[in-house]
Amino acid sequence: MRYLYSLSIIVIFLFLTVVPLIAQEEMTKDQWQTEMANYKSKKADLESQLNQLSKDIEDLKKQSTKLDADIIACEDALYALIGVTRADVEAFDKELTQMENRVSELQRMSDAELVNYKDEMMKMDSRLKEMAQSKICLIPRYGDRVNTLQQKLLALLNSIQKEKTYTVGTWAKDRDCLWNIAKKKDIYANAWMWPKIWQGNRNLIKDPDIIKPKWVLKIPEGNQLTKEEKSAANSYYRKKAASTPN
Amino acid sequence: MKKLIKYILIATLFNGGLLFMGCSSSPSAEELKQLDELKKEVSSLEKKIADSKGEKASLEKQVAEKNGRLQQCQSDQEVVKKGLGK
Repeated sequence: MRYLYSLSIIVIFLFLTVVPLIAQEEMTKDQWQTEMANYKSKKADLESQLNQLSKDIEDLKKQSTKLDADIIACEDALYALIGVTRADVEAFDKELTQMENRVSELQRMSDAELVNYKDEMMKMDSRLKEMAQSKICLIPRYGDRVNTLQQKLLALLNSIQKEKTYTVGTWAKDRDCLWNIAKKKDIYANAWMWPKIWQGNRNLIKDPDIIKPKWVLKIPEGNQLTKEEKSAANSYYRKKAASTPN
Repeated sequence: MKKLIKYILIATLFNGGLLFMGCSSSPSAEELKQLDELKKEVSSLEKKIADSKGEKASLEKQVAEKNGRLQQCQSDQEVVKKGLGK
């Protein structure tokens, strides 16, 4: 009897809990109405926002179109003032941009690499001087760009044109001779480059076997011997061989 | 025993009644479809608004840049006029 009583309580409890759960899974009419009302209100709000945004976008497009026309008119008037055409300015801008890019590339190079581009930099410098004289440089933005580029290029040229020197020490202490000087890491790191020092200091060095302490030798730039330097070296080797008794 | 069966029967009928009432107040399939469509419309509007906001921001940026360019050009004109002594 007690068992049946307990069972009936469980059954009632289950019904009371399961039924609302089942009812919750499906939407009631009231819930549907509430949701419909919420979504309708949200839709109306969003439509209003979208309309406002569309108007704003239209206004901005009109402003943008008007500004395009104003800019063209202003630039044409500016170019007319200095007597150049839009095509002239565009060509000038293109050339200047190319040079700016090239100088940026050169700025990333080491001094040793830069030496190989000295001629190119000299040409660029000369072209920039011509460009600086152009009427287009009366327009501040172009004048400033040309000026900035000239300064950058000058800094690059200065960095490779700095004359390196070496003060000769004594043989006893420093073992200095042209061969050993050229071999030094901060000079050429290559003993075979000694003729470059010789040829660069012909005023001091008459005989490459003789250098004197405290002489200040110029260290010419470059990492290869020129034709003249090679020829001088060969001539020296020949004389040396001829004077050496067999 | 009979009493117990009676209680169980009453409870079952009561809950069954609740269940029946719950079922009978559900929205119809047509109404549910309406709600679904409304949800889709809202979702589509939200997407359009997000796109429009992006377009508006981009246009605002363009307009600001163009305003800057125009002001620069006007200022350049003044400098060139001074430079030419006009």
